[in-house]
Amino acid sequence: MSQIHALSDDQVGQELRKMTAFIRQEAEEKAREIEIKANEEFAIEKSKLVRQETDAIDSAYAKKFKQAQMSQQITRSTVANKTRLKVLGARQELLDDIFEAASAQLGEATSSQDRYKDILKGLILEGFYAMNEPELVLRARKADYDVVRQASEAASAEYKEKTEKDVKATIDEENPVAEGSAGGVIIVGGNGKIDIDNTFEARLNLLKDSALPAMRKALFGENPNRKFFD
Amino acid sequence: MSAQNSAGIQTLLDAERDASKIVQKAREYRTKRVREARDEAKKEIEAYKAQKEAEFKKFEAEHTQGNKAAQDEADAEAEARIREIKESGSKNREQVIKDLLHAVFTPVPEAMAAH
Repeated sequence: MSQIHALSDDQVGQELRKMTAFIRQEAEEKAREIEIKANEEFAIEKSKLVRQETDAIDSAYAKKFKQAQMSQQITRSTVANKTRLKVLGARQELLDDIFEAASAQLGEATSSQDRYKDILKGLILEGFYAMNEPELVLRARKADYDVVRQASEAASAEYKEKTEKDVKATIDEENPVAEGSAGGVIIVGGNGKIDIDNTFEARLNLLKDSALPAMRKALFGENPNRKFFD
Repeated sequence: MSAQNSAGIQTLLDAERDASKIVQKAREYRTKRVREARDEAKKEIEAYKAQKEAEFKKFEAEHTQGNKAAQDEADAEAEARIREIKESGSKNREQVIKDLLHAVFTPVPEAMAAH
């Protein structure tokens, strides 16, 4: 044996074993580090992905829920509206029917000449007071000219009595009221520019607005929701 | 001697090789974990989404039902009120017509002068 070999075979073997053990240990420690890191990264990555996506899902569903709720409110409101309209429609039908029936019976005033003359006098007087002019023109149905003339004289007399003013009302025979009218009279003043339509049709027409509150009360009772009565 | 040397070197080389296998295995584990993170995340996300969808569907179903109930109730109420209107109508019609005609045929001269 040469002098160069400082170690015996046994010692070499021992050294080798120590070195292999060391190499192995280092490798296992490194492997452990890598595994620990891998698990950490796993947890972080997984929770990041889950959170990102669930947030997105949450906001998408929040929107969906809100829309569904809104659409439901719209539906409910539409239903309520439709119902209200149905009921109002029925009311209106009834009112229209009543006005039509009244319209058909407008002829009854003319059945008695005396009564008709009296009514005409009142209608003409209304015109006199409203116009407050000394000269007025009357329009009426051709068939009524005579009775209108008589009524007009009576009206002028009463007017003079109540106001001490004279009024001269002439019938415009060039412009009679249409044949189909049920009666009444039109008083024209202001140089032909202002007229008060006191035909029965026109008066009934005015009632279509003005009589509604009273009619509604008579037919449908008081409105429990009403707050203002002036 | 040189035989001993090369045996020793061989042992060390083998040890290095085993060591690198160990590390390599760890590295493969790491790669696997990255993939697992994505796969598990995906599964959890889908489960969450399915749950949310189920909640939503339930909500919708409840409200469709509620809407139908409201519609039926509204229809019934409308029927009842229309019936009331018709009854009142037939009861009071004649009087109202009479009152209207009375108003048409009753001029009020003084009152008109007031405006």
